[in-house]
Amino acid sequence: MRFAQKKQTMSNAGSSKRDRTEGDVLLEVNNLVKHYDTRSGLWGKITGNPGFLVQAVDGVSLTINRGETLGLIGESGCGKSTLGRSILRLHEPTSGTVIFDGTDVTKLDADALKKMRRRMQIVFQDPYASLNPRKTIEDIIATALRLQGLAKGSDIRGRVKQLLENVGLKPDYMNRFPHQFSGGQRQRIGIARALALNPEFIVCDEPVSALDVSIQAQVIQLLNDLKRDLGLTYLFISHDISVIGYVSDRIAVMYLGDIVETGPTKQILGDPQHPYTQALLSAVPRVDGTGKGNRVKLTGDLPSPINPPKGCKFHTRCPYAKEECQLKKPEHRELKSGSSVACHLVTRE
Amino acid sequence: MTEPQPILSISNLQTRFATRYGLVTAVDGVSIDVMPGECVGVVGESGSGKSVTFASVMGLVKKPGWIDGGSITFEGRELVGMSDRDYKSLRGKDIAMTMQDALTALNPALTIGHQIMEVLLTHDDELTGSARHRKRGARDRAIEMMMLVGIPSPETRLNDYPHQFSGGMRQRIMIAIALACRPKLLIADEPTTALDVTIQAQVLELIAEIRQKLGMSVILITHDLGVVAEYCDRVAVMYAGQVIESGPTKLVIGHPSHPYTQGLLNSIPNLANLDKRIRPIEGQVPELINLSPGCRFIGRCDVHESACAQQVEMQNIGQGRAVRCVLPRRNKQ
Repeated sequence: MRFAQKKQTMSNAGSSKRDRTEGDVLLEVNNLVKHYDTRSGLWGKITGNPGFLVQAVDGVSLTINRGETLGLIGESGCGKSTLGRSILRLHEPTSGTVIFDGTDVTKLDADALKKMRRRMQIVFQDPYASLNPRKTIEDIIATALRLQGLAKGSDIRGRVKQLLENVGLKPDYMNRFPHQFSGGQRQRIGIARALALNPEFIVCDEPVSALDVSIQAQVIQLLNDLKRDLGLTYLFISHDISVIGYVSDRIAVMYLGDIVETGPTKQILGDPQHPYTQALLSAVPRVDGTGKGNRVKLTGDLPSPINPPKGCKFHTRCPYAKEECQLKKPEHRELKSGSSVACHLVTRE
Repeated sequence: MTEPQPILSISNLQTRFATRYGLVTAVDGVSIDVMPGECVGVVGESGSGKSVTFASVMGLVKKPGWIDGGSITFEGRELVGMSDRDYKSLRGKDIAMTMQDALTALNPALTIGHQIMEVLLTHDDELTGSARHRKRGARDRAIEMMMLVGIPSPETRLNDYPHQFSGGMRQRIMIAIALACRPKLLIADEPTTALDVTIQAQVLELIAEIRQKLGMSVILITHDLGVVAEYCDRVAVMYAGQVIESGPTKLVIGHPSHPYTQGLLNSIPNLANLDKRIRPIEGQVPELINLSPGCRFIGRCDVHESACAQQVEMQNIGQGRAVRCVLPRRNKQ
């Protein structure tokens, strides 16, 4: 009920751009690459250090439909945050295209990109580091409105109040500073800031991993309610499989800069095809104690993205690796189930 | 035949800190027993007092904090009020603890070989002879420990510094240091929180395996109920400085009787049944300053009643379980 009312006021404040039907493609990422090259820096010249080429995101393609939540899962260092930020051009992609509602974001100039940012926002992982400790909550949330020239004077206060209510905080809190809030409340402030411009698409970069379990559930519930009421589309990045499983319509599994498997949530969790997805899922300790028996054991650590293994990047840890896997990088194959898998061992149905 | 005695017995422990905002009772009347060879899980959210409880056991609570009451016995020996000197002969030898953050717990300026050997040279009585002889013996044992925890090519990696290892490897090194003297009790404080799931599984399996091999007791401090369900025999759930429920893992997790434990389990998405909507616990953990005498969960509890405003004691509810709540008693009547 509470949210139904707010939805009314929110959509009045917004534009008609959300009237389009659900289900059409909102975001299309094609062969996106992000490499960090430290080989030609000044530091390298001074120290004589040759530097590295870090292949953080290495040719990723994915699509997200309007109104959908795509869960992006992978271990730390696999490039999932870099991918999320490259999509928003918070990091400039090395190559590839990001088509958002028909426009190629990577080709936009600064002005057009600023306008586009109204429609794409991000919620950061660390609610302690992502809020300026010297600004009040009102300043933090209103900055985007001021920069984009969307509200002036007393309108700003009204809008900030409304946003705080939307995320379940008291409007009187707007004159307080970030240190006066708990982790869960701070994350709500981060969400209010992302909602300030009425975006259509939000990258949620590990929004609950810094929070305690009971608080985590509150924030997940809030994000789900906002999505339903405001018709949002999420790219939800997390390393926690149960969280991803709960919020996502579809899941993409990332390993060392590549997407190795994508598919509908039930398919990925119920019948994972890629050996890495299988290992990742079986490693999760289950409350009902069913996980332990059929654990796929992985040996070793994630290899470095500076010098990733040739062929299939997973072959160094894969229990089923064959000779072919060391030589040739597997292409994505569409399966009948709606999944898409990059593995030599998964045969076409 | 006598009843087996617990190897570690914490009873009615109170640990307080004097802060500029007032007196904080971080641990308030905690009692936990650990039997020989047993693995006990301690679950709780941040601020529940789980780490401070075991810092008290290790004698690591320093000013402005102090142990204000209760007793901690290890193999019948009272630890509260023991001298630093006696503690030194105990820590690292009979009881070992691994810290949550392996990067800050290891000394960045010393090689890991040095850090493992240090424990051995301090405590191991088997190393005898000249200094050089002892050192060589310690080096061999260090290599053996590194092999045990699965660090590849230990002979060369012995000379590496902590920053040259990955997070999972650092955690293994901490475990190697903790296990070097074959302690009777290992306290593992969030050993896998900073790690990815695939590495987490490796580290937990390793602890379970070594526990079987050496027959030691393990206390696993964690916030992850899944980890507890898979690795612990018994579990104690902590909330705001108190143990609010304890018992055999299967019973506590399968049929939780405290509303907080129930709430915690309802907050976790269930992978086996994703359509089940999660139900968060509303509100927040209370501040530990100026607490009211009643149940600490009262502000977040859906089923509280007038009796909850008075002090609630732990009560046994059978099958080795105990709970700090008035409800089970009321239901029985």
